[in-house]
Amino acid sequence: MRRLIPLVAALALFAIPLGVSNQFLLHLCISVLMWTVLGVAWNLLGGYAGQVSFGHASFFGVGAYTTMILYLSFGLAPWYGMALGGVMGALLSLPIGLICFRLRGPYFSLSTLAVAEIVRLVALNWESLTAGPMGLLITTLPEVPFFGSAVNWERKEPFFYIIALVAILAMLGTWAFTRSRLGSELVAIREDEDAAESIGINTVRAKVLTLAASAFFAGVGGGFYSLYYRYIDPDAVFAISLSMEMVFLAVVGGLRTVIGPVIGAVFLATIAELFRDRFTVGHLIFYGLFMMIVIRYMPEGIWGRALRLLRLSR
Amino acid sequence: MALLEVSGLTREFGGLRAVSNLSFEVRAGELLGLIGPNGAGKTTVFNLVTGFLRPTAGDIRLEGKSLVGLKPHAVNRRGIARTFQIVKPFPHLTVRENVTIAALARLGRREAAATEATRVLEQVGLDGKFDSPAADMTLSDQKRMEIARALATNPKLLLLDEPLCGLNSREIEDACVLIEKIRAGGVTIVLVEHVMKAIMRISDRVVVIRQGEKIAEGTPAQIVSDPAVIAAYFGKRVA
Repeated sequence: MRRLIPLVAALALFAIPLGVSNQFLLHLCISVLMWTVLGVAWNLLGGYAGQVSFGHASFFGVGAYTTMILYLSFGLAPWYGMALGGVMGALLSLPIGLICFRLRGPYFSLSTLAVAEIVRLVALNWESLTAGPMGLLITTLPEVPFFGSAVNWERKEPFFYIIALVAILAMLGTWAFTRSRLGSELVAIREDEDAAESIGINTVRAKVLTLAASAFFAGVGGGFYSLYYRYIDPDAVFAISLSMEMVFLAVVGGLRTVIGPVIGAVFLATIAELFRDRFTVGHLIFYGLFMMIVIRYMPEGIWGRALRLLRLSR
Repeated sequence: MALLEVSGLTREFGGLRAVSNLSFEVRAGELLGLIGPNGAGKTTVFNLVTGFLRPTAGDIRLEGKSLVGLKPHAVNRRGIARTFQIVKPFPHLTVRENVTIAALARLGRREAAATEATRVLEQVGLDGKFDSPAADMTLSDQKRMEIARALATNPKLLLLDEPLCGLNSREIEDACVLIEKIRAGGVTIVLVEHVMKAIMRISDRVVVIRQGEKIAEGTPAQIVSDPAVIAAYFGKRVA
């Protein structure tokens, strides 16, 4: 029975657009799912590998720009572009990982922040590729036949299905990951890196691979963002605040849990949508407050606490 | 041929020579004691051999093949396992998980790793404590677990960094029995230790270092009567 729960949840997820026609609610769901993907991506590295990155916006931004540029300059349909955006994110992560993983703990975290700023500044100044601060804009999306008619990109439903699929794949990926050999190597690394090395675990390789997987999903998330909002510029997709929001939702939801990022994303997206219109960056104040409360009263995150209570009651 | 050959090994930290032109060899099947006063460079030697530090000069060969430049995990795969002076368990995992992870890193398959973990845990005498969290164990048991974890990687050579330090006399006795048992099982052992009585009793040969240099080498009986060793530990006799 318990094995059916994820399947039922996935089916229920896909049924949402059938019951919800309110476009704002659907937008909120899409937003939650996009943040879920980013939280899952960050959680792979920050949660499971215990390597706190403050620079995941780089991968998100590179994914967004890859998707956008491939479509605008080469006419490649953006859903393929999304996947390639993930690949580009993963490729970018390799040199970053090899540099930053020479450092440990807070030094690693600070180096990711520095590298992300470098990437943002490169995007801002490489005008021949990125159009610099002007940003890139998609005016029309290509037609896709769907049961005899064309997909209507003016509606939210197609976007919902795309990002729901990505979110499910990301969570399945996490689940498989925790059961893999790499997953158990990460447990050892998180517990004691020297001891892990001493028993034959290639800690750099394990961390670089995990970062690449994490960067892939962040890149796909960025690709989706560019497809959904149809406009990107360096300050939107390479923002430090974006990296921080990924940390926020993984920590609030529950580190090292498959479901945690969903919970974090629900809170994050809701807070953002509620306050973004009224104050320009006001939602950040509420993120901060909320994060402090969660860290103080349930350091294992909302879902982490829920899991513990479930285990205790059994 | 010697299992491990260390030749001309030197390591400098800034201006300090922690290990200076040190040469010694470890023969297959023996139990070699590495002793010396505090700060003599014993742990540095271990860190150099296991790849945690790179030598400034010199060579380290296992079965004739140089280990210099290899990362610790690669050195472990070549057949050298170690324990740490200050124990480094995986604190939130159980004893069984600690050892299984080490076996899994080598074997790749969960069932085989679990079997191997059980085997080495029984070998070190931790029966009945498999499911305790590592952080809750006594120091003595943590040290045993660390030995089991090292053995799970199937080493030819086991480096034990002060396995008796901090144990009471009863535990020291038991640990000596364990170390001799592991050696009898075919694993060559290098032991860094301060507990003289124990090391003199169980070692086949002893290498003494002081300020990074070798000052004596020989059987325990030769070492205890060596004037250089006596001078290193007790100072020179006046008059």
